[in-house]
Amino acid sequence: MYKLLLCWRYLKTRYLAMACIISVMLGVATLIVVNSVMSGFSTKLRERLHALLSDVVIESQGMEGFSDPKEKMARIMADPYLGPRIEAMSGTMEVFAMLQYRWPNGEPVTRPVKVIGVDPKQRGVMGGFREYVWNRYERIEPSFELSTERREEFEKHERFLLALEQEQPEEPRPPGDPPPPKAPPSPIKISEGAIVGNLIASFRKDVAPGKVEEVYLLNPGESIILTTVSGQRMTPVNDRFEITGYFKSEMSEYDANHVFVSLDYLQKLRTMDDRVTHLLIKLRDYNRDAEGVSIALTKLFEGEHLMVNTWEKKQGPLLQAIDIEKGILNVLLFLIIAVAGFGILAIFSMIVTEKTRDIGILKALGASNGGVMKIFLGYGLLLGAVGAGLGSALGCWLTIHINEVEGFLSRITGTNVFDRKIYYFDQIPTDLQPFMVVLVNVGAIGIAVLFSVLPALRAAFLHPVRALRYE
Amino acid sequence: MNQQPLLSAVNLHKTYRRSAEKVQVLRGLDLEVHEGEFLSVIGSSGSGKSTMLHLMCTLDKPDDGAIYLEGRRIDNLPAAERDQLRNRTFGFIFQFYHLLPELNALENVLMPQMIMHSAWSWWKAKGKLRKEAAQLLERVGLGHRLKHRPKELSGGEMQRAAIARALVNRPRVLLADEPTGNLDSQTGKQIVEILRDLNRREGLTIVMVTHNLEISHATDRVVKLVEGRVEAAVSDPFADNSQAVIRAASVA
Repeated sequence: MYKLLLCWRYLKTRYLAMACIISVMLGVATLIVVNSVMSGFSTKLRERLHALLSDVVIESQGMEGFSDPKEKMARIMADPYLGPRIEAMSGTMEVFAMLQYRWPNGEPVTRPVKVIGVDPKQRGVMGGFREYVWNRYERIEPSFELSTERREEFEKHERFLLALEQEQPEEPRPPGDPPPPKAPPSPIKISEGAIVGNLIASFRKDVAPGKVEEVYLLNPGESIILTTVSGQRMTPVNDRFEITGYFKSEMSEYDANHVFVSLDYLQKLRTMDDRVTHLLIKLRDYNRDAEGVSIALTKLFEGEHLMVNTWEKKQGPLLQAIDIEKGILNVLLFLIIAVAGFGILAIFSMIVTEKTRDIGILKALGASNGGVMKIFLGYGLLLGAVGAGLGSALGCWLTIHINEVEGFLSRITGTNVFDRKIYYFDQIPTDLQPFMVVLVNVGAIGIAVLFSVLPALRAAFLHPVRALRYE
Repeated sequence: MNQQPLLSAVNLHKTYRRSAEKVQVLRGLDLEVHEGEFLSVIGSSGSGKSTMLHLMCTLDKPDDGAIYLEGRRIDNLPAAERDQLRNRTFGFIFQFYHLLPELNALENVLMPQMIMHSAWSWWKAKGKLRKEAAQLLERVGLGHRLKHRPKELSGGEMQRAAIARALVNRPRVLLADEPTGNLDSQTGKQIVEILRDLNRREGLTIVMVTHNLEISHATDRVVKLVEGRVEAAVSDPFADNSQAVIRAASVA
């Protein structure tokens, strides 16, 4: 009983112990915030990567793709193992291309992009596409067709250009010659639509610390020219597309490189009939079936030069890198708590010296060595628990309000703490996992107790007579 | 007095090391303390008075010799049993009071009880134990100071609290190490009166170390230590030679 009372009194009366509590608290809070933010980034990244790649991908070895995807899909669905496990499938064609547009001053800009031909309806069902298509201000349904108004406007504009051409003064001809036959009215070709990555169409500019503005170079309805190669002969082919939306997945790599067009039209442009390069597959239960399905698919398409991968395997190195990064960061951050542990060791040693006479008194009154040791171990436990408790509260609060805190810091320091031009997330993503909080707490309290063992042992083995005589 | 002594020390030897130097404090000390006796031990500083008390209450171990409590040897008992003896059989009063500064008077008095009880049994008996401790404090004249911390008490008050603490587990023997050494003579007298009263009324056996001869007059028997041995021990304090020893000591 006396152990509890003395632990509590020592905690209340030793202000030095506050230093221990604060150091444990800061260590715990830092670990919680950093882990939550890292998890947030990693979860968001995984989500995006997963969504865009769907669950399992069958891809061809080269840019030529493979023919008859419909037949392949039918074969998959007919398989007794695969059929019931698959929710949806969609063929896509990915190919590199040059995108060209004009600055407002007329200067041409050319940049390399990845053109992905999709069927907007089919691809929409798969997830990871439909939810990221925006016009300037809001989400829209993905479509490569121009709206009726836009179509009419486009036609009017084209006719006007045509008329301008025809109004050229006719070349003088010798009198008596019959007038040349009028050229038949050429059919006006309406451009196909394209959904371009948001970072191709715009760039981000700092307006104020912590605030960025998107400046658009390509507006809906403006034209771009995409140049790619045809399927068999590799001759350049190009066409004009009109912007019908932006792809805004908040994954800068995708948003800065991807252009989506209609699959049918891309096949036609590249003279590839019905060939596709990728077959995306969405499973009913990814966690249960991913491995089995990819093995079954590999078997099904044996000898057809197709690669079957789950999204995780495709992005393996990146995901592993994130995990390793998180592990190393945790080790480093735990060193912070270890530093706090040494603080506890030093401060406890001082407290034991200061309390030498009290230890002698307690022993004279019949307290055992073990009892004296438990006072100081209990004290360490209490300090650790209070520090970890306060640290958890602080850490959770900071994690939940991280964006406000970041805004506040940016305002005070006048610099961007979280540069939205780099990360391209509007909010700092966080993922506060209760298990991680518990683990950090257990670790911190464990370290506090561990580092109080030495001073506690010293207290326990103090000679009572010498302790009583201690001045 | 032919009955078995309550507490006896036989041929005690104790040497301390002070850095490289060895200091022999006790050199064959023999002493018997009988039940109900109020014994005072006098001697110059360094004569081994405090060391003798520490050995008697098993706070330290003799290099040679033995301590007996009612005929049972206690100096070589296992640590847990010695802890228990200090907690229940011996009460100890120090020259510098040695109250715990973080606790108030009542909590200080309750400390031996708290050491004796587990958290659970303490919790069950808390009310009763607190009441008893408060009564003890009242008895030593500190009824109005229960919630005061040691630093808010005077020297005399602290020593009274220390006496109450020593008594709380109803010990068989009270060992007092210069209980008046740090107090003015008036307060010192009051403390000795309290001890005298405890001895007379309750038959509490007290061994008091002091170098104040005047105070030793109040006790039943006086023993003088010289160089780690009992120089003169007189069982009857009222015999002539005992008075002569005291007189001789006070002249010296």
